[in-house]
Amino acid sequence: MIEIKNVTKTYGKKQNAFLALDNVSFTIPDGASVAILGKSGSGKSTLMHAISGLDRPEQGEVLIDGVDILKLNTKHVDRFRAQTIGFIFQSFFVQANETVADNVSLPLEIADVPRSQRKAKIREALENVDLIEKVNNKAKNLSGGQKQRLAVARAIVNRPQIIFADEPTGNLDSVTGNKVEDMLFGYNKENGVTLIIVTHDQDLAARCDMQVNIKDGKIESIRTIKESKKTPAKKAAKGKVA
Amino acid sequence: MKFLDTVARAGRSLKNAKARTLLTSLAIGVGAFTITLSLAAGQGGRAYTDQIVSANTDVRELVVTKKQPEASTGPKKFEASGVSSGAVTGPLGGSGSSQVNFLNEDDIAKISDVEHVVSVSPNYAPKVTYITADGADKYVVDSISTFSPSVQLEYAAGAFEGDLKNNEIILTEEFATALGFKTAQDAVGKTVTLRADKLSSPVTAPENELFTYTVKAVSSKSGFAFRAQGSLLVSNAAAETLYEYINSGTRAYGNFLLASVQVDDAGNATAVKDALNSKGYEAQTAADILGTVNTFINVLQGILIGFGALAVLTSVFGIINTQYISVLERTQQIGLMKALGMRRRDVGRLFKLEAAWIGFLGGLIGSGVAVVAGTIANPAISKAVGIGDTHLLIFDPMQVAIVVIGLVLVSVGAGILPARKAAKLDPIEALRTE
Repeated sequence: MIEIKNVTKTYGKKQNAFLALDNVSFTIPDGASVAILGKSGSGKSTLMHAISGLDRPEQGEVLIDGVDILKLNTKHVDRFRAQTIGFIFQSFFVQANETVADNVSLPLEIADVPRSQRKAKIREALENVDLIEKVNNKAKNLSGGQKQRLAVARAIVNRPQIIFADEPTGNLDSVTGNKVEDMLFGYNKENGVTLIIVTHDQDLAARCDMQVNIKDGKIESIRTIKESKKTPAKKAAKGKVA
Repeated sequence: MKFLDTVARAGRSLKNAKARTLLTSLAIGVGAFTITLSLAAGQGGRAYTDQIVSANTDVRELVVTKKQPEASTGPKKFEASGVSSGAVTGPLGGSGSSQVNFLNEDDIAKISDVEHVVSVSPNYAPKVTYITADGADKYVVDSISTFSPSVQLEYAAGAFEGDLKNNEIILTEEFATALGFKTAQDAVGKTVTLRADKLSSPVTAPENELFTYTVKAVSSKSGFAFRAQGSLLVSNAAAETLYEYINSGTRAYGNFLLASVQVDDAGNATAVKDALNSKGYEAQTAADILGTVNTFINVLQGILIGFGALAVLTSVFGIINTQYISVLERTQQIGLMKALGMRRRDVGRLFKLEAAWIGFLGGLIGSGVAVVAGTIANPAISKAVGIGDTHLLIFDPMQVAIVVIGLVLVSVGAGILPARKAAKLDPIEALRTE
């Protein structure tokens, strides 16, 4: 369970101060798929960075299974990201000159997974995204959709608890975009992994269990589209609108 | 992140920028080349002087002179005990007017008394008038030296072991030819005649005598032997006989500039040296002579290495520059790695290891080319310098390894600043796509 409590983040100083997140609180149940919606500059990316431990808001708590990751030191936050989180980005960020296998291997190396276990994990992840026949190809020879599937494989290879996807289909046409979406939601449902998608695509948001709308650093509304079968007792927490 | 994984990733990153990596390592390769060659030249030079000294001196032999008055500027006080070398037509045929202290019979006796000393032979160096053979012209003899069985000589003909008899002589190849022998072998067993002039005889009634010797062997020019070149060799006793005849009755008689001292064991050479030095003599062992020559070689080698170090210093800036550009180019990659939880330390290490790879490559290329080129050039160099089969460049695998390791460390040092920049990158900034 992810509990976000009174998170406030300011950029700049004094007169130039800009409130990116203003006292944001909400709760995400385990295994849920969540869309964080908002226009550019609304603070949705900042919120994602705060939940994933990339950024450090000056106030509030981000409790993941009861542990406040904002209070962890850098070493432990790094370990938390390496072991519990997978990332997918709009621009893929796959290493073009490396092979598909080496790209997927990166999170395993960072998380100190023993060499003997890596090969099987990489195969499994690539089979999940239907890229196993490209395992020894250079990433630069893949199409856009394949690159994003490679990024999905990289995100799931170390069996994370939470996957963050920042506009995962923003650079893809609708057909390939849908394929990537299907993979993400499929993985989310099958493995009970919490999926947090940052997007301004309403169609994509509509497929999520929960929608969090952000405007000017505040939560505008939280909607639970459909009651998740897995979390009947834990309805989406009430959004606190400041 | 595990160390080996980081090494592999660093290697892969460099492979993706082959031209840049190669050019940067070539810069450090120039330094590696210079340093490897100078180390090899030093090694070869020392080995060469080692051979020279062992070919000309005996480790059980010390060269002893009387302690000389300290050189001082201005007028010198006259000392009655010393003999002005200007007046001496003796051992050295001295020139100049400075006072030189010679060894006399008392000194020789004193030196003989020192513990471990087996024998003392003064440097007679008799000045004979000419040498000739049957039907040959007369030739001036510059120097006659004493033969020592422990000094290695190279022979053109008549090679032998052991000591010379008192009626035997060793000629040089040049004298053998000049005296009309067709080959060096022809000369062996023939007789030659030396004329000695008694210096103390009155000018109106000069005395001289002919001494006849059998040619025992002919020495050849050698890359090592400087003592034997141009010098005729006779036994110690024969040299003494000549010296007695020529010099007895002169003022310089019984005074020697130097004497060679034989010690019972090489290990005692230093002890004897110290004992002699405390008694007012100056003694040099073979090791001292070698040391003097080697100091010279070491200084030369130091200068060469200095040039190499300069090249390395230049390449250090090359590495810093390359790595800075690499960090800028790979901002997103660094951001991704940090977002995925890679620690700052590991990011820094990745870039330091890339620098290490560059240094390793450069060191390998530079010293590899040096070894190959040096090995190929060795015979040509030896021929040009005229030292026969000796090689002036000796590559020690240990030294080459140390050069490469040293350059890897230097490169890591150069990689510190760019690595720090990479480690400090903010992943949020690095991954911003807008």
